[in-house]
Amino acid sequence: MRRLASTPSLHPAIVLWMMVGLAGFCLLPWYGIEDGFFNFEWLFDGYPFDEDYAPALFLLLQGKKPWLAPMGLALLLPLFLWKRRKNDPLFGTLLIWVGAAGLLWFFLQGFGISIRGWNFSFLNGLFGELGDRQFGMGYGAVLTGIAFLFLLTLGIAARGAVGGDVFVVSSVGLIIGLVGLFIFMPILKMLFTALITEEGGLSIVSFVGKFFSGRIWSLDCLVGGSRCGVAWNSLLLAAVVGVITTILGLVFALIATRTGMRFQRILRALTVLPVITPPFVIGLAIILLFGLSGAFTQAWAWVFDVQPTRWVYGLPGLLIAQTLAFTPIAFLVLIGVVEGVSPSMEEAAQTLRANRWQTFWTVSLPLMRPGLANAFLLGFIESMADFGNPLILGGNFDVLSTEIFFAIVGAQYDQAQAAVLAIALLIFTLSAFYAQRFWLGKKSYTTVAGKGDAGVHPPLPRALSIVIGSVAVFWIAVTVIVYVTIFYASFVKLWGVDDSLTLDHYVQAFAVGWNEFGLHWKGSAWDSFWTTLWIALVSAIPTALFGLLTAYLLVRQRFAGKNAFEFGTMLSFAIPGTVIGVSYVLAFNVPPIEITGTAIILILSFIFRNMPVGVRAGVASMSQLDSSLDESSLTLGANSFQTFVRVILPLLRPAILAALVYSFVRAMTAISAVIFLVSARYDLSTSYIVGRVENNEYGVAIAYATALIGVMLAVIGVMQLIVGRRDIGRRGHAGVQQVQVAGGG
Amino acid sequence: MKTKSISISTAFAALLMAGAANAASVTLYCSADEAWCQLMARGFEEETGIKVDMTRKSSGETFAQVKAEASNPKGDIWWGGTGDPHLQAAEEGLTEEYVSPMRDQLNDWAIRQAESAANRTIGIYSGALGFGYNKDLLEKNNLPVPACWKDLTKPEYKGHVQMANPNSSGTAYTTLATMVQLFGEEGGFQYMKDLHKNINQYTKSGSAPIKAAGLGENTIGIVFMHDAVAQAASGFPIVTVAPCEGTGYEIGSMSIIKGARHLDEAKKFYDWALTAEVQSRAKDVKSFQVPSNKSATQSPLAPDLSQIKLIDYDFKKYGASDERKRLLKKWDDEVSTLPQ
Amino acid sequence: MAILGSNAASVEFVGVSKVYPGSKVPAVDNVSLHVETGKLVTLLGPSGCGKTTTLRMIAGLEFATSGKILIGGHDVTSIPATERDVSMVFQSYALFPHMTVRENVEYGLKFSGFPKKEIGERAMSGLSLVGLQDFGARLPSQLSGGQQQRVAVARALVLEPQVLLFDEPLSNLDAKLRRQVREDIRDIQTKLGLTVVYVTHDQEEALAVSDRIIVMKNAVIAQEGTPRELYDAPSSAFVADFIGEANLLDCEIESVKEGKAMVHLGPAKLCIPSRGMQAGPARLAVRPTRISIGKPGASNGIPAKLDRVIYVGKHLECFAETGIGRIFAICPDVDAPLKAGDEVSLIIPERGAVLVSS
Repeated sequence: MRRLASTPSLHPAIVLWMMVGLAGFCLLPWYGIEDGFFNFEWLFDGYPFDEDYAPALFLLLQGKKPWLAPMGLALLLPLFLWKRRKNDPLFGTLLIWVGAAGLLWFFLQGFGISIRGWNFSFLNGLFGELGDRQFGMGYGAVLTGIAFLFLLTLGIAARGAVGGDVFVVSSVGLIIGLVGLFIFMPILKMLFTALITEEGGLSIVSFVGKFFSGRIWSLDCLVGGSRCGVAWNSLLLAAVVGVITTILGLVFALIATRTGMRFQRILRALTVLPVITPPFVIGLAIILLFGLSGAFTQAWAWVFDVQPTRWVYGLPGLLIAQTLAFTPIAFLVLIGVVEGVSPSMEEAAQTLRANRWQTFWTVSLPLMRPGLANAFLLGFIESMADFGNPLILGGNFDVLSTEIFFAIVGAQYDQAQAAVLAIALLIFTLSAFYAQRFWLGKKSYTTVAGKGDAGVHPPLPRALSIVIGSVAVFWIAVTVIVYVTIFYASFVKLWGVDDSLTLDHYVQAFAVGWNEFGLHWKGSAWDSFWTTLWIALVSAIPTALFGLLTAYLLVRQRFAGKNAFEFGTMLSFAIPGTVIGVSYVLAFNVPPIEITGTAIILILSFIFRNMPVGVRAGVASMSQLDSSLDESSLTLGANSFQTFVRVILPLLRPAILAALVYSFVRAMTAISAVIFLVSARYDLSTSYIVGRVENNEYGVAIAYATALIGVMLAVIGVMQLIVGRRDIGRRGHAGVQQVQVAGGG
Repeated sequence: MKTKSISISTAFAALLMAGAANAASVTLYCSADEAWCQLMARGFEEETGIKVDMTRKSSGETFAQVKAEASNPKGDIWWGGTGDPHLQAAEEGLTEEYVSPMRDQLNDWAIRQAESAANRTIGIYSGALGFGYNKDLLEKNNLPVPACWKDLTKPEYKGHVQMANPNSSGTAYTTLATMVQLFGEEGGFQYMKDLHKNINQYTKSGSAPIKAAGLGENTIGIVFMHDAVAQAASGFPIVTVAPCEGTGYEIGSMSIIKGARHLDEAKKFYDWALTAEVQSRAKDVKSFQVPSNKSATQSPLAPDLSQIKLIDYDFKKYGASDERKRLLKKWDDEVSTLPQ
Repeated sequence: MAILGSNAASVEFVGVSKVYPGSKVPAVDNVSLHVETGKLVTLLGPSGCGKTTTLRMIAGLEFATSGKILIGGHDVTSIPATERDVSMVFQSYALFPHMTVRENVEYGLKFSGFPKKEIGERAMSGLSLVGLQDFGARLPSQLSGGQQQRVAVARALVLEPQVLLFDEPLSNLDAKLRRQVREDIRDIQTKLGLTVVYVTHDQEEALAVSDRIIVMKNAVIAQEGTPRELYDAPSSAFVADFIGEANLLDCEIESVKEGKAMVHLGPAKLCIPSRGMQAGPARLAVRPTRISIGKPGASNGIPAKLDRVIYVGKHLECFAETGIGRIFAICPDVDAPLKAGDEVSLIIPERGAVLVSS
């Protein structure tokens, strides 16, 4: 209807995706290159005829891999749409068929034929031995798959879905494809692995036997036995940690908003620390303080003349460590809620003759209830998924996450057992996640963006403010002691043996020298440090982008199946890192996706682990953007892609920046998933630190961790300068701090 | 202009090709300690110019990987890790027969290992089981110095002994198998039950008990003696004990993977890894195992195998997976469930 | 400088309904309407009546569940906003805060295939049309509310849309400014001959700017007509009450003859257009300004007793208790000696009363 250039013979989007697909099919190597995704030696090494590097077309011309042929033909079919318009019914129908059939065949052949020919024995029975095989997919396959996906979405859009908006339908398709491939597929593969018996067959019975074994579910400890199943241990720990962190988080949120206490600012600053602290470090500090030879235990034993004990190993130590680590999360969730309780409600209660105490109990607290539930569930999930602390503080108190780790890396190397344990863990976290969704509905992440409410929060009852004040002082004291210990320990020669101060650990890790090639990174930590840095940076960008794109779809678009879509994209939030790690190892070390040992698998795991946070950040800030802004862009003739790029992204710049920094920081401190995925070539800081801890080189481990904390503080500092806001360490439901942008300024 | 650009691009291509041609490489699966693995990989690269792609995984994990990749092997050589999985791989024909010219320089136990596996594997180091204690803590608690396995079951050591869980640790399984071989199956399990009363924690990893002892978090740790020595070498007040009754041991092994893509380079690595000079380097990364090359030098701190009473450990029997499962189940059912 | 013109076209709804997903009640229920080319038509109604949904369906921001929408005679029912030649001025103005005024105005032109030079010229003439030619380099946040509003208008105008839509454009302005801006809008509309659809809930605003008004209630059209038709001859009690103030009185139609009805209103008798009604009980709408207050016992008057007289500056507001209910009347003579408790009679002229459906 608007002035448009003359209609081209073939719809430009079809041309684009046909070109992409055909480039993938005819020009680029179909299979993965062994030397790595970013290595281009193959160009001069027998391409395009060598079987390892040949594009699908060249393979077919040489009479190899005939099962690839249908995809090439399918890519040519859209030519039938020559001179047809978008609203021609054939247009949509044909594209849907081409896309769907192409994708189906793409995956059928990918999963059906593997390094040993047919992947499933029934196919052998059906078609006989194949006598050929294929490796993991490479550039060519990736492009071809993408082309089919977008031809499909183009077709769906042409049939009128979401008002025929190609960009929106394609984005939905892309996100579904990614989430399906990198979250659901690995999890399904893991479930499948759990069914595999020791003899290699499949059996439900053996799975049931393993799943309900006493090691996981035994309740012996209640009836006087020596210990309970690991599942109950995990559950107990997570529930207690959830309660404690919620209470402490509320305490701090009340202090920050309802009292004039002077240490507010310290409190806020301290809450960022645990978020940027590499795993193990808090646990180590706790051993140094409260272990058998720890300063506190020894002092206590000396003062009261008792035998020092290993009391900290097990539940007590885990509670201390996890409380220190996760209270800030609860705080960041609750501060929004506590601030969001409208002061006029409280003022109304007071004018109705409730005293401060009654106001707090009858009005303020009940209004915070959804936030409290939210904080509890977050603490619960984080505790369930925590891996570093139980590893070094667990003692005989086994939990699921560490059991999973040792099932995979230990001498037993039992993938099926790891999968079974992971399923138990997944059931807990998913139930919590589902309960939260069910219970709180959508409220969980829409920020309280009400109109500015005049009035001030009434001060807390006096007794209450004394209690929470002392709790906060105590917590701050513990946190400060723990971090001072960490900092100090990084200079101690050999803790407990030789207390002299030294810079040796830093030198060992970060020495820099000169040799004939110039600067030489001599320290042992540089390798993993640079790898971590670039992988964290590289993964941050798609994390933020996919997160915001998903948020845009969720907030601004209506389409069929949106609820399921939302659930799917938020699901990985509830999947503990250990489970992601295990399932990635199981799913991606065999064709069609063969990426174990590469940097790609690390990047992917970061993207899909952290994406929910990007989504939440995007949802939170996008709900504050007046939707008339993008509507007006649409009525001014921009399509939804142009609107997304020109209006929404620029306005969300603070959110993007926050999401970038957040996923960067998460990637720098992640351990639970990556411990399964690192390789010698791509080692990460955290797993390097674990290695040093395992070798009793606490000095180097702590020095490295201290340096990392410094780096992340610097990153956050720069970020603060740019955005000009404080707590960007926010994670989970609170989303990331936004600068509010309203239409019309 | 055009010719120039072409000549540049051809030169560029030639350079790349030259680079590619030069890049002989070998893929190493390493099952020893990370630092030792790095030392081997970087050392071989430096001396031969052959690029080493190293992946470090536990021996159980590596075995599973080699088995999974049997039809499309990606690894060339598997270095390090306890002998059982190497023997099992040899038995299943996953590894290549090879008789190294270096063999006559090796200790008998290393050659025996090769012979029992039809030359598909070879011993590269060995370590004897024992325990270590933190002498400061021992003094502080006025405990007698333990010298024998039986000492550890005495009631005064209650809460002072740590060992790994045999389910998750090869070291602890070697301990279990050693006790069964030393005291007979009945006696061995009775010993484990008595020991159980004194254990303060079954750790996940094999060397954790002595590391905890080093930090003063535990008094006595049952581990391979070379792990205890490593702690002492790091400056921790650890004393290593070779138990008076005799003890079991492991033989760290090396195998070439069948169907290796870089067989020549793998053999080169194999021979190189057996030289005295290379084996003498282990102590630099605090690995105090006994090298298999007779003329390799050892740290003065390292336990002297000839002074230790070694039992005639039956690797074949106790390495078999059925026996292993049976013993572990028995331990699970009869020992781990007892009150402490 | 480019001269802005108009490609004005008509808008037609044929039996259009809209049901939002998850809702059972339609937001717009089987609405048919026609907006002539070059006219300004207002959609008026209380909140939730469906007027904004109707507007958004013209824009293409919502899609009709059933029915057909035509713009300039072409069926656009399933064409999205991007591809429709329709511009909209939002209640919040929706100026892009990260672009300057000029970039805002140029925004839509960039997507419409204009050459670069013409984009600049058109933007400038758009801005000068609203008197903001010197403000191009500013950010929206540096403008006053009224100026922002005019930028939003300029941004929509420069595209020379077939239809220009306004969604409550004056609601964020203060009362004085409102009058001026609505006149400006009307001026530009008549000058350029634009087709404008305008949504408001303010009846005075609707009366002032519109060629025609469509009153909506509960998702359907309650009445459509010129401002005068709606004010003077509301068809229903709702319209009478919604547009201006009205006394709604129960009456009795005695007889109907040649389109005239003889109506008994208490003791008074009126002969007024029957508007298709039959004899029997009926409802009568009477504007308070049409009622005159006379001495007790005036002929054809309704006896009444004032119970409250309020002085509001430009007139007196009188509330009187009568045998047919409470009646509200406006007395233009502020000096009239009226006070609460006075006995009066209310005289209702035949031109001032309309029979309405209830």
